[in-house]
Amino acid sequence: MAQKVSVWTSNRFWRRSATWITGVASVLLILLTFDSMAQMKMGTAEDIAKKIDKRIPSPLVINYTIEYKLDPYRGHEIPIIGGEMQRKEGGIKSAYEKKEKFFGRDDYTEEEARALIHKGKLTIQAKNCMDCHTLLGNGAYYAPDLTKAWLDPTWETLAPAFNGKEYAMAAFLQDPPKMAMHERKMPNLGITEEEAKAVVAYLKFMSAIDTNGFPRNFGKIKGAVDARK
Amino acid sequence: MFEPCRDVVCSFWSYLNQGPMTLTIFLHTLIVLPMIWIYFDEKKRLERGDIPNE
Amino acid sequence: MQGNKLYQSQELAIKYFTVAIILFGAQLLFGLVAAIQYLYPDFLFNTLDFSIARMLHINALVVWLLYAMIGAVYWLLPDEAGIEVVGIKLANIAFYILTAAVAVVVLVYLFVQVGPGKESTIWFITEGREYIEAPRWADIGIVAVVLVFLYNVYATVMRGRQTGILTVLMADLIALAGLYLAGMFYTDNIAVDQYWWWWVVHLWVEATWEVYVAAVGGYILIKTLNANRKVVEMWLWIEVAMMFGSGILGLGHHYFWIGTPEYWWEIGALFSALEPVPLIGLFVHVLYDWGKERGKGNEIKNVPAFAWLTVETFGNFLGAGVWGFMHTLPQINLYTHGTQWPAAHGHLAFYGAYVAIMISAMYIAVQGKAGLERLKMTKAGWWAISLISVGVLLMTVSLTVAAYTQTMVERGMHGATWEGYFAAQSNMWFLQGIGWRLVTGLAVIVGYGFLVYDLITCPKHQPVEEGETAAAAA
Repeated sequence: MAQKVSVWTSNRFWRRSATWITGVASVLLILLTFDSMAQMKMGTAEDIAKKIDKRIPSPLVINYTIEYKLDPYRGHEIPIIGGEMQRKEGGIKSAYEKKEKFFGRDDYTEEEARALIHKGKLTIQAKNCMDCHTLLGNGAYYAPDLTKAWLDPTWETLAPAFNGKEYAMAAFLQDPPKMAMHERKMPNLGITEEEAKAVVAYLKFMSAIDTNGFPRNFGKIKGAVDARK
Repeated sequence: MFEPCRDVVCSFWSYLNQGPMTLTIFLHTLIVLPMIWIYFDEKKRLERGDIPNE
Repeated sequence: MQGNKLYQSQELAIKYFTVAIILFGAQLLFGLVAAIQYLYPDFLFNTLDFSIARMLHINALVVWLLYAMIGAVYWLLPDEAGIEVVGIKLANIAFYILTAAVAVVVLVYLFVQVGPGKESTIWFITEGREYIEAPRWADIGIVAVVLVFLYNVYATVMRGRQTGILTVLMADLIALAGLYLAGMFYTDNIAVDQYWWWWVVHLWVEATWEVYVAAVGGYILIKTLNANRKVVEMWLWIEVAMMFGSGILGLGHHYFWIGTPEYWWEIGALFSALEPVPLIGLFVHVLYDWGKERGKGNEIKNVPAFAWLTVETFGNFLGAGVWGFMHTLPQINLYTHGTQWPAAHGHLAFYGAYVAIMISAMYIAVQGKAGLERLKMTKAGWWAISLISVGVLLMTVSLTVAAYTQTMVERGMHGATWEGYFAAQSNMWFLQGIGWRLVTGLAVIVGYGFLVYDLITCPKHQPVEEGETAAAAA
């Protein structure tokens, strides 16, 4: 005859459950991480030549035009690199054809482009960008998000005076207070000309990362109604 | 009946992602369901009384 | 008041708590500077820029919480295991090494601030990755010190009594320490960078730290209420199951927009939506035990520690649970990600989940050091808990108002551009929210003053109750 027992108040039952749950959740996370890491590997020149889309494209994208457009197939905005083409399944994708001069060149080799964004990323970390700005939406909230900064309409307005927006951005980075656009100025962080160029390259590269449609409607709404400031 | 995967790259996990909740319900089930077995196993042991009182 | 013989490990715990409370002050100070800069951008411009003030604000937070967490373990370890901590000499040396390293890192942050875009900067000045900016040399030092700490814990538990609380702590601390390694490498790929960065940040604050809190909370319940150990440990295992069950894959809510595959939307949304559940459990558990013990006519043995524990459960549920859930679904997060929303959530969550329980643990140590049978709430202690708690709660509400405005104006109306960002930042509602944040921050700083005063003096200033005076007079 079995005695009456209470499993729900048994410490052993909960200990075994906790161990099981933690174990399975960890294993699932590891499996998912393997899958994500494979998908998030940086693209190569070969991918661009074959027009294969990568979530994180090859740094060679600095040779191409970059736009941010709504793809009806994906259901959100995606980066369009080197002009758009029709997707087989409907919607649009990057064509990797239309080039654009970046600091006077559109023929950076993969090695050069990689070296540039390497320097750019190091500078972004060395200057603590993330403790004022957000990058891919992560960081501090004291200054604008830089995820799609390369595509910001503000730079288009400044571009003519500098013969191209990359020059305007590089000039800004080297002496931000001089070109301050708001009372909340960016300080002068001693960014050299070389570093500034690399950071701009990184920003251009970052704007080509597929962020699943973040930020929504970037640069699409101009002069929105905000009468009651 | 099945939604095509529309992500940049499609993997096992993306195919499980069939619109609202399918993937997450699958994972939750995987995690929680075996607790039923743990429950009955513990019950059996407790009834047999072969667990020292902790 | 009689003196009390402490374990050497508990003496060490007090050292850890002392450094923790000093760094807590530093955190508030740099937070104040940053809050002022939001309103008056020229304040300390070019001397202590926002990026530096903010970095020190959040790094001081992380480091003081870690100090207090290590301190609390050194406090409860000999008490639970029933023996002196094994390798206490080594533990003492590690404390001084860690503190010296922290001092050097802070001085470099303050006076060198930034470096050139080279590997050497990553190694010696800053890694520039929010929350874990500590340069690489310090990373390696931290790992070494943590290894000593883990050795102390494991060796002690092996030789002493192995309670459920200690079992959970042992498993949890090794995961906590191991996760730090995920944040110790450099990559040009910013998406991969942030992927692993979240392994440290999320799996700390939303998984391993939460479980740590549940374990230490259980210990405090036993100490303050004489709660039944078997019941406390059953709850602890339930909480571990629910916290790791939701928290580990809840990591997905940081993988919506950083270049990660779309399936994370679903995983992140639903798993993280369940994260508040164990926090409700913690809250119910503490209140239930309180009611039960009061029903038996038992008195709380350490009122301030118990009060702070109650603040912890409530603040954890409200700050981490409710405020987190408010913006965790991807449909909403698309517009709130990278706005003041996470700031509002972060302030109440860190305070509720971690600050309050660490202060509670400090009061346990204050009582233990003074050797008092009961520790009552003093006037100063009451002011401290009220000013800090109400201050942080209202600060969160202020930031939420600012967050709504930013989401609406910058994200909804202007499509997240530079122009849209500043349109939101100069909106009247936003500015008022930020203004109130500064005011409430000042209240917290005053509360901190009371707290430090009370932690030092409360054993001497115990309120005398009427019955006791009568007895003394007679």
